[in-house]
Amino acid sequence: MVKRAQTKKKASAKQARLNDDIGEETRLTMYRLQLEIRHLEQRAHDLFFQNLIKGTSHLALGQEAIASGFGAALRPNDYTFCTYRGHAHTLVRGTSMTGMLGELMGKECGMLQGKGGSMHLTDVEKGAMGSYAIIGAHLPIAAGAAWQAQYNKTGQVAVCFFGDGTTNIGAFHEALNFAAIWKLPVVFVCENNLYMEYTPISDVTAVEHPAADRASAYGLDSIIVDGNDADAVYRIAVTAFDKAREGGGPSLIEAKTYRHSGHSRADPASYRPKGELEAWLKKDPIPMYRQRLIDFGVKESIVKNIENSVIQAVDEATEAAKASPPPPVDYAFTDVWADGGSSWRN
Amino acid sequence: MAELTYREAVAEAIAQEMRRDDSVVFLGEDIAKAGGVFKSTVGLWEEFGDLRVRDTPISEQAILGAAMGAAMTGLKPIAEIMFSDFLAVCWDIVCNQIAKSRYMTGGQVDMPLVIRTANGGGARFGAQHSQSVENWAMMIPGIKVVAPSSPADVKGLLAAAIRDPDPVIFFEQKSLYATKGMVPDGEHVDEIGKAKVLRNGDDVTILALALMVPRALEAAERLQLEKGISATVVDIRSLVPLDTKTILSEVIKTGRVVTVEENPRLCGWGAEISSIIAEECFYDLDMPIVRITTPHIPLASADELEDLMIPSVSRIFDTISREVD
Amino acid sequence: MDVLMPQMGETVAEGTLTVWHKSVGDTVSSSDILFEIGTDKVEMEVPALADGVVKEICVEAGETVLVGTKLAVIEEEGIKESIEETYVENQIIDTKKSTDIIAQTNISKRDRIDRSMKLSPVVRKLLAENNLTHNDIKGTGRNGRLKRSDVLSYLEDNKSNKQYLPDTSSRVAEFNDKTIIPFNHRRKMTAEHMVRSKATSPHVLQAVEIDFSKVEKARYQLGPDWKKREGYSLTYLPFIARALCSAIKDFPKLNGHIEEEKLVVFDRVNLAVAIDLDFEGLVAPIIKDADLKGVTEIARAINELAIRARAEKLTADDYLNATYTVSNNGSFGTLITAPIINQPQVAILSTDGVSKRATVIEKDGEDLIAIRPIGILAQSFDHRAIDGSYSGAFMRRLKEILETRNWAEIVS
Repeated sequence: MVKRAQTKKKASAKQARLNDDIGEETRLTMYRLQLEIRHLEQRAHDLFFQNLIKGTSHLALGQEAIASGFGAALRPNDYTFCTYRGHAHTLVRGTSMTGMLGELMGKECGMLQGKGGSMHLTDVEKGAMGSYAIIGAHLPIAAGAAWQAQYNKTGQVAVCFFGDGTTNIGAFHEALNFAAIWKLPVVFVCENNLYMEYTPISDVTAVEHPAADRASAYGLDSIIVDGNDADAVYRIAVTAFDKAREGGGPSLIEAKTYRHSGHSRADPASYRPKGELEAWLKKDPIPMYRQRLIDFGVKESIVKNIENSVIQAVDEATEAAKASPPPPVDYAFTDVWADGGSSWRN
Repeated sequence: MAELTYREAVAEAIAQEMRRDDSVVFLGEDIAKAGGVFKSTVGLWEEFGDLRVRDTPISEQAILGAAMGAAMTGLKPIAEIMFSDFLAVCWDIVCNQIAKSRYMTGGQVDMPLVIRTANGGGARFGAQHSQSVENWAMMIPGIKVVAPSSPADVKGLLAAAIRDPDPVIFFEQKSLYATKGMVPDGEHVDEIGKAKVLRNGDDVTILALALMVPRALEAAERLQLEKGISATVVDIRSLVPLDTKTILSEVIKTGRVVTVEENPRLCGWGAEISSIIAEECFYDLDMPIVRITTPHIPLASADELEDLMIPSVSRIFDTISREVD
Repeated sequence: MDVLMPQMGETVAEGTLTVWHKSVGDTVSSSDILFEIGTDKVEMEVPALADGVVKEICVEAGETVLVGTKLAVIEEEGIKESIEETYVENQIIDTKKSTDIIAQTNISKRDRIDRSMKLSPVVRKLLAENNLTHNDIKGTGRNGRLKRSDVLSYLEDNKSNKQYLPDTSSRVAEFNDKTIIPFNHRRKMTAEHMVRSKATSPHVLQAVEIDFSKVEKARYQLGPDWKKREGYSLTYLPFIARALCSAIKDFPKLNGHIEEEKLVVFDRVNLAVAIDLDFEGLVAPIIKDADLKGVTEIARAINELAIRARAEKLTADDYLNATYTVSNNGSFGTLITAPIINQPQVAILSTDGVSKRATVIEKDGEDLIAIRPIGILAQSFDHRAIDGSYSGAFMRRLKEILETRNWAEIVS
């Protein structure tokens, strides 16, 4: 990591910080991304209680910095794979908010035509290659996408986001070993939010750091990062991507974070010990990042502008999605096969 | 035309397609340098090299997961699952991911992949290495299911499967690997979803798949010679898509139908076809529909026990002699 | 001990014997290497596995043989050559045993239906489409089952009649001052049936005169409302049919089939009602379980059958298992008819005209002349199974029911 210059002069300090390895433009992007996620997830939370979003929804409130940090480092033609807690990772690839909210509400304008729902958000055009509801399944799949990049020498990277609970399932181990021996350009990102659904991760894992402590089993470095600091995440991402693009193989990164809401739906998460949520709320990534921007000399007005435009975008998307009708009935029978149909006989 | 073994036809089909299309790649356990435990992929690594023909660890979920990721991003992978019984180890990838991704994403995701696997019994391997599981695959919406009975069909249907933009599970029968047959020269591509009438008769229609096809044909010969019963034999070839047109017209022609299935009794592929016949050809039936299957028990390993369980030529002959008046 | 070619790999069906380490006459112990086998990938040394002397070598070095082939024979110490080795061959076991064992696992808990008694779906369809009954065709399947091929052969044999479908009018050929009307399909069927019936059964005719006063009373009282409600008139036939069923209860032998030298008597009366199709032919569909139905139900059933018959909408089920037939000529005012038995039934009843006639009645011990509605019922019976006295007693009973029952109160 690049050391921050420590000077006593305020002006030159500001100047120095602004011109560091990340740069203002990227930082503003990451701030915007975090805000978009925060507001969209909060909107999804509210719509769920208004009974406009049915089924289940897994929110990433509090974990925005990870998706944003990686999102800012990704190229448009890189691949991302995420879990059912994947609104954030899909959003940072530039997908339409209307399409996302529409999908959560089961509307025709939904990005999956109302056929996948919250747990399967996908935007292939933007490189968001799917959200996966079976724990661990997408790790080998991400490795496969990376295999394509290696085979065709495209320089693309596949990034795979998953939770701490995933590190205990078979597919995790198969995928890591596989990617390591084939030296595939895939980056595995474990978002350790301390809970595997309703159970503390420490209760069910044989090692302290569920991902980082296992890296050596696959010949990989142990990498831990503060998942609530978008800058730190960004730097780790860039390093891992460079390594992968140069043919150096996969990385396994453990990002420490915390989710503000329950596992899903209306889970009040009463299994959390008293005071834990409050302590983590003090480390909320977004106010922290806002302050950092101000410290770096970004004008308050610019920051406010971003905030207002994000809220406006989320509001507009909400209205547009609400206005969309339910999917037509014949959508149920389309797209089982490549020819668009679903017939199994003649 | 050349005489090839069933196993040679596998390698030939893959080679034909890999020569033609650079995006076709192949992965599996012991498939490259060893040429496959059944010696069905001999010569491919030598011709296409490390980049296109790759050995994997024993990691079925990774094998199929990687095949899926590659298929989603522009390659046309062929993945081998050594014994079809092992599909149970990676069934999540098959039925939850590969089968459903295109549909769930509103048509965004492509899935042009082939899973090849050695299916069925007769080799004394015991219950965990001898199952016929084509019916497992038939039940999941979103997967095409093919099971050839001859070297020519192996070559033609495997080539078609590789070219098919949809996911195909290609069930090779391990006891058929050494069998021989004539295979057309040059490029040979067949059609998935088309059954074949291999023998024409008036008294009864026999529907069979894979290993059961040559047995049905042999039984039909005996039935003609010894009982004067003339049988039509239909090789189903694809369970999905199912050639119901051909099957139903052959049933209507004779009014009597018998299925011969290697899978265990319950929910075998013949049960589904019987249900379609009962519903759509009810008024054309001169006899209740009869299914000849392996009984609903795991397969024993001892020679006599295994031969007893899997439908034999004699059992097909005896059953049809008894049922057809 | 026979030395056999071992199976070296799971998928290998044959092997090559590359080198013999021993020759005929050599003494070997079980751990001595006897020979080597190989493929391009694998080579293996194989021990003798027995103590003794090499008696015979059956396969040359360099030969490739199938797995299981006898390569050599070792005469073991202490074991004389004269003892035959019993070697259990690896063969498919007794096939009957295999089929039976498997069949047991699939046997249904219900008794297997005797299929010969049932008509399969395709046979029913073909019979209905061609206006045939299962009695018209001989079955050649197991236990005499009527097979599809039997029906198809029958139709093929009668193909020259195919052009005469029931719903086409007969072709008329003008020929000088004659008119030739060829038999259509139905005519031909009827002709065959009638000839066969007369040839089979010795017909005897017995008749009674019935005073229909009580029936007439019911008809008079209920008639108008009935007509209004049902759309057709309440005739004598339903009453006669109802009385018939009651009489049959007391004389059940008339409700049966003759099969070779047996009379099969049925519990239920499936009453066939002869229906004329506008002079184009005769059909006799049944009222199933007529004995369980009242006059009203019977009347409705007759009407429904007539409608369906004229619309050519009768099916094979409408003819199945008729047990007694009634033929109604009453509307023509005829006196008496000698009907032909509907094989394989045992009797048939004809009803003729009912008209007002002068008749003698007894009142207060005196004979008086009264005017009453009188009609003749005539039964033809098969004298093989039934005698005159049985039939006569039946007819007396039938008369009694019709003349004494208070029909006006029974029918609603």
